Amino acid sequence: MLSQSIINDVITAALDTGGDFAEVFVEDRFTNNLALQGGKIESSLSGRDFGIGIRVFKGLQSVYAYTTDGSREGLLKAAGNAAQAIRGEKIIQPAQLQREIIPAAHPISLNPREVEKLRKVDVMKKAYEIAKNYHNSIQQVTVRYFDEEQNVLIANSEGKFVEDRRVRSRLAIQSIAAEGNKMQPGSYGPGAHKGFEFMENLNLEHYANEASRIAVTMLGADPCPSGKFPVIIDNEFGGVIFHEACGHGLEATFVAKENSVFANRIGEKVASDVVTYVDDGTLSNEWGSITIDDEGEKARKNVLIENGILKGYLIDKLGGRRMGMESTGSGRRQSYRFAPTSRMTNTYIANGKSTPAEIISNTEHGIYTKYMGGGQVNPTTGDYNFAVMEAYLVKDGKIGKPLKGATLIGNGPKTLQLVDMVANNLDHGAGMCGSQSGSIPVNVGQPMIRVSEMTVGGTKGGK
Amino acid sequence: MNLQEFKDKLFQLGEEHGFTDMELYYEREEKFVCELFKGEIDSYDTSEVFGTSFRGLYKGKMGYAFTEKLDEESLSYLIENAKENSKFIEDEVQEEIFAGSEKYGEGNFYSADLAEVTIPEKINLLKEIEKHIYSYDERVTGTDYFMLSSGETEKAILNSKGLNLSEKVNHVGIYVSVIVKQGDQVKNGVYSKFTRDFSILNPKEIAKHAVEEALSQLYAQSAESKNYPVLLRNDAASALLQTFIPVFSAEITQKGQSALKGKTGESIAVPLLTIIDDPFLEEGLLSSNFDSEGAATVRKDIVKDGRLVTLMHNRKTAQKDGVESTGNAYKASYKGALTVAPTNLHVVPSDQSYDALVSSISEGIIITELSGLHSGANTVSGDFSIAANGYYVKDGKVQNAVNQMTIAGNFYELLNNIEAIGSDLEFSMGFMAIGYIGSPSLLIRELAVTVE
Repeated sequence: MLSQSIINDVITAALDTGGDFAEVFVEDRFTNNLALQGGKIESSLSGRDFGIGIRVFKGLQSVYAYTTDGSREGLLKAAGNAAQAIRGEKIIQPAQLQREIIPAAHPISLNPREVEKLRKVDVMKKAYEIAKNYHNSIQQVTVRYFDEEQNVLIANSEGKFVEDRRVRSRLAIQSIAAEGNKMQPGSYGPGAHKGFEFMENLNLEHYANEASRIAVTMLGADPCPSGKFPVIIDNEFGGVIFHEACGHGLEATFVAKENSVFANRIGEKVASDVVTYVDDGTLSNEWGSITIDDEGEKARKNVLIENGILKGYLIDKLGGRRMGMESTGSGRRQSYRFAPTSRMTNTYIANGKSTPAEIISNTEHGIYTKYMGGGQVNPTTGDYNFAVMEAYLVKDGKIGKPLKGATLIGNGPKTLQLVDMVANNLDHGAGMCGSQSGSIPVNVGQPMIRVSEMTVGGTKGGK
Repeated sequence: MNLQEFKDKLFQLGEEHGFTDMELYYEREEKFVCELFKGEIDSYDTSEVFGTSFRGLYKGKMGYAFTEKLDEESLSYLIENAKENSKFIEDEVQEEIFAGSEKYGEGNFYSADLAEVTIPEKINLLKEIEKHIYSYDERVTGTDYFMLSSGETEKAILNSKGLNLSEKVNHVGIYVSVIVKQGDQVKNGVYSKFTRDFSILNPKEIAKHAVEEALSQLYAQSAESKNYPVLLRNDAASALLQTFIPVFSAEITQKGQSALKGKTGESIAVPLLTIIDDPFLEEGLLSSNFDSEGAATVRKDIVKDGRLVTLMHNRKTAQKDGVESTGNAYKASYKGALTVAPTNLHVVPSDQSYDALVSSISEGIIITELSGLHSGANTVSGDFSIAANGYYVKDGKVQNAVNQMTIAGNFYELLNNIEAIGSDLEFSMGFMAIGYIGSPSLLIRELAVTVE
């Protein structure tokens, strides 16, 4: 993408004013976004992102400059703008760049750039037909298709020079069921670190039917009651609760400045014994998987909580400097427009010993959430909230009537202590996670779990 | 390759490939973002980026493609992809390349004074604010987000029908989130402000706002979960309005995803409520003389005295509904397709102060902050159940902060349940927001409140 000699000159220029580390991130990305609505392709967008991010550290000070100007002149100007923020004499010379070839950990068999768009449209239309024909109350179906090829080059003053190609594909189906004035959505959005082979092998029947089934079920659902209940959260995307309740709080971004409720607590009991929480960027071809992170570090499996004991954090280079710890391969960013920071990849609660059937039959009166929507956390206080897409009342150990409009709120550290059952059916779901370094693909995952008490905010009101 | 050369080559190549009408949309942005943490510069970002998007009619259908690199490879990439993309578009009403409006507003949304403010002056402002933050109260332990962002954006639309529009705007913004600790209680308080006038950013006032906000959340208590009259403070009210603003878009009604379909001219809210979309607002972050397809923008009532006056339209949605465009064509950036969005849209304030509204409540809840709006609100049905922070009010006086809550209701019903509107109009930039949305505080007759 850029020659080694230009990059070397840029790193050298970036260090001119006393920086002790400099890094160049080059990105050339091709994306396709298609949207189908009411059976017709409504938009089809293709584009190429190209830009360069230059980062300089001096101690804990971090400076970032980015530009779309890939000329030698443009890059040296950006490096100069970054260097300007640091006032001092040059203190180090960059190490000689050593090109390192890292084999792709997530092989791609069919690059979507080489696939005719007509084939992509066919997949969308198939999904549309399945979802639309699920039930006569399905009024509207939207199918979105996304693929990207992101080529990156990462080089730094320690001599690192690596390149990586990330190919990702995702299909999102949203169904809306309607009756009279009532409308309810249901959606499903599978994705993977794969090429078009992902779409060819995708179980469209399952995903499209599920999107519609959720919408139709919720159309006939009662408003969710409010109050404190035991809550059973099903596997796969249910893991979004721990992503919010605990994952963000374990990121160096918040831990390093001691703003997180989990700061300085390694070795302490932060969760109930049944909780083991892992972030693993190496899972084969998963949506949140990476070969190397956006600082050029190899992806790895990081055990964050083991049997309730806090074992580690998610650390990027800058966070590591502040904490006196090594990177955990967790430096990620949306694009060259963001300096990387510590982020999750595929994060999940590990399998426990219960079965889903045991959890449900052991719950006298509670709420069962089959599919979760999105959520949000305040990492400083640990307060989180998230929306439930599909919920049911549990009564006398059985799943009862469907409930709509439920929101779960709580405090991360407290909820972690209240997990009292973990099943053995771990699965992962794809999502986009937004934080300081932009929006990135991540997986959330878990087996079915039960939290002994959570606050449920429903549209029905109290009691 | 420079832009002019790129455009000429691109349109020529497009013509050879059979494109009839073509447009090049261009954006250039310079930004400076700085974060401060305990006296040290924690992050310092400067950037200069541009991007272009090509839109062209091929066999009567509109194809799109964008690039951030002006080279030979991009020329053929744009034309080939736009051509392939056009082939699948099946909408009966097609977009068009627009020759331009008869006349345009002449608003100036670029402050030469702001452009003169140097980076050291901006950093100095942050340092001043921080000094006041730490000296204001000993319970302040830090900030979890504290930044200044300033930017200059230039956009241009050049097309084969001879339209040639360009505009340059700038802004500066401050965002502070302060952490306070009292015993084992940890709370934070946020304050943000966007402007084109650097001189109004008063360090002492900004610090005071943020710290007071954090302190006011301490000693939170539980409250009975039930239906209460709810005062949505201006920032919370604008955040909620922001979430539901798509229901006023003709694109959304045409997709059957808004209950306002076919309601133009009808009463949809209490007569107290008037909502204006004002592209010429002097301090508006999204002020502009032309929209993203080159049509002149106009100031108009969306809701007037409770009656829906118009939906927001671009030229395509207007054609479908048999009306005129309202100048609300919008592209999130050159990467996006043409859609519909507000400019600076706000609820028109009344003359009642926030304090007067509070003292009118015999028992109720004030909501100061909403979170999880992107997931807890269903813009299709209007139902929402959203996490919230705020205070408990008894006999017209704030008693205490309340533990994390959810408030639940329905947006369409809420429009008919507004009892009073404050005088304290404030704008907010929300998470993943479209539009610059403002509201004064709104007193709502009743919402379901669940307390943790």
